[in-house]
Amino acid sequence: MANPIDQAMSQDTRVSRRQALTLTSIAALLGANAVVWFSNLLFFKPRVTYGEPSRFRLGKPDAFPLGTRLPLGSQRVTIIRNEAGVAAISNTCTHLGCVVATTEIGFDCPCHGSRFDAEGTVLGGPAPRPLPWFKVSLSPNGELEVDTATPVPAGTFLKV
Amino acid sequence: MKNDTGFLGTILAFPMNVWKSIFRNPIPSSDLGRSQTTFSNVFLHIHPVKTHSNSLRPAYTLGLGVMALSLFLILTVSGILLMFYYVPATTQAYDRMLDLNGTVAFGTLIRNMHRWSAHGMVAIALLHLCRVFYTGSYKAPREFNWVVGVILLLLTLGASFTGYLLPWDQLAFWAVTVGTAIAGYAPVFGEQIRFLLLGDRVVGQEALIRFYVLHVAVIPAMITLFVAVHFWRIRKDGGLSRPADADLPESQPRYPDAIAGKLEGLAPRVKTEKAKTFGVMGVVKGPFNKVGNTPDNTVFSWPNLFIAELFVFAVTLLVILVISMTFNAPLEAPANPTSPPNPSKAPWYFLGLQEMVSYSAFWGGVGVPTIMVIALILLPYFDRGQNGVGVWFSRHRLLAVIIFTTLLVINLIFVIIGTFFRGPNWGFIIPWEQPAAHGSATAGH
Repeated sequence: MANPIDQAMSQDTRVSRRQALTLTSIAALLGANAVVWFSNLLFFKPRVTYGEPSRFRLGKPDAFPLGTRLPLGSQRVTIIRNEAGVAAISNTCTHLGCVVATTEIGFDCPCHGSRFDAEGTVLGGPAPRPLPWFKVSLSPNGELEVDTATPVPAGTFLKV
Repeated sequence: MKNDTGFLGTILAFPMNVWKSIFRNPIPSSDLGRSQTTFSNVFLHIHPVKTHSNSLRPAYTLGLGVMALSLFLILTVSGILLMFYYVPATTQAYDRMLDLNGTVAFGTLIRNMHRWSAHGMVAIALLHLCRVFYTGSYKAPREFNWVVGVILLLLTLGASFTGYLLPWDQLAFWAVTVGTAIAGYAPVFGEQIRFLLLGDRVVGQEALIRFYVLHVAVIPAMITLFVAVHFWRIRKDGGLSRPADADLPESQPRYPDAIAGKLEGLAPRVKTEKAKTFGVMGVVKGPFNKVGNTPDNTVFSWPNLFIAELFVFAVTLLVILVISMTFNAPLEAPANPTSPPNPSKAPWYFLGLQEMVSYSAFWGGVGVPTIMVIALILLPYFDRGQNGVGVWFSRHRLLAVIIFTTLLVINLIFVIIGTFFRGPNWGFIIPWEQPAAHGSATAGH
């Protein structure tokens, strides 16, 4: 930088044409880069998925007599019916997502040995949280509808 | 111009002219020829003209790096062959596995080779890491190449992880369910990372196509890129590491075996013709291998190094072939999203992780592995001493060797517990005692 013009430039507080172009070019490149990253992130996040829907219907409530404790495999919930009403408890282990086995007295996870009681409370093993309960409602045509995207507090039953 | 030999002469010279146009040099018989053969061939010039004799000691390198590359080549070729029959769809993938085993000529063999080479590549890459650690080869100026090596190890594990969803059997489905659930424990963005990996909330068609693209395109391309950097850096960092006194002239031999040409499995050492001198064309900066005009302990890469590498490749291929003809790659029942096998086990190299995860999902699956990887990457920037480089288990590095070995043994113990001592519901079992009969099929292998 022994160039006398450069030295004169460095004393000058004004931005030279070359500096201005360099700075705008750098800004444009960084901006374009950010846009590319952001748009790729959006691209990789599907807006529509093709798996099991989060809401599904079970049929009329009388299909589930008192004392029912029925695991639904592909929907990954267990339907419970007792005096208080109908409820749906998740069958997805809160540890690492294996499907728990529904037993008479609770739930057992085969992957890492987590155990839950009949209400989904953790009894042992590495599971950090109880099994979530899902919202059960009556659809207009009188069928039970479970929404696995809407968790409800444990012990929430739908009166039927 | 003396080309005027007539039409017949042109015809007679045709084969030789074609040969010479492809191969610039004849089979070398002089040191100049040996240099030119290495120097002027696009494939061979990945190596310098001369190689230090320490790099050719089988007991020093154990050939692990070349073995890992050989396995990667076998995986690439067998993987491309498998792609001709595989369909990444949940409705077809498992049937295609059965077709490979039942109807495709050599289908079972190719699938076995791919599976066993994948296991082998993980094992050899880990052993290679141990070799480089125990010989102190990660120390300056080779710090960055160690980091590239750690990245390659992670990519190898990633290739393996994405690969085992593809058969769409029970192991595939549940190992990936568990593996991606671990990603969900990453701080802040865990759930988003998991969703991006799977393309859905659960493992399904979206996950299969994503893992397929990662497995056959993205990760192999990245491995190829980093392997190129890895090899380039070996040369630019001055060749493989060696003891400080290994550059003494031949009059004071450091390795009598190497000097006497007794290298196991190698061609006899070609002596430098002292009267001749060769120069490296262009300006070479930094550490490089000298070319023959001073007494040193280098030998010509052609034929010594090339034959050694070919030998390692041939042995690797032979071992993989024999294993693949003896043992079939496991294939479990088709994926059943409603019932995991009990116990649900990942391949051996992830069982240590799975064992740790059974205590705490965050610490076992995210915290401890992240700390281990960061520690590995930072190691060469904090372990700066130059003593003991190029020597196995150097006494100067006693503390480092003890710490590394301890961590290695702890990891091994976790793998062994996860592999042999875990039964249904991940309960503790004694492997040599007959486990109680259980309803679900076991998945250990």
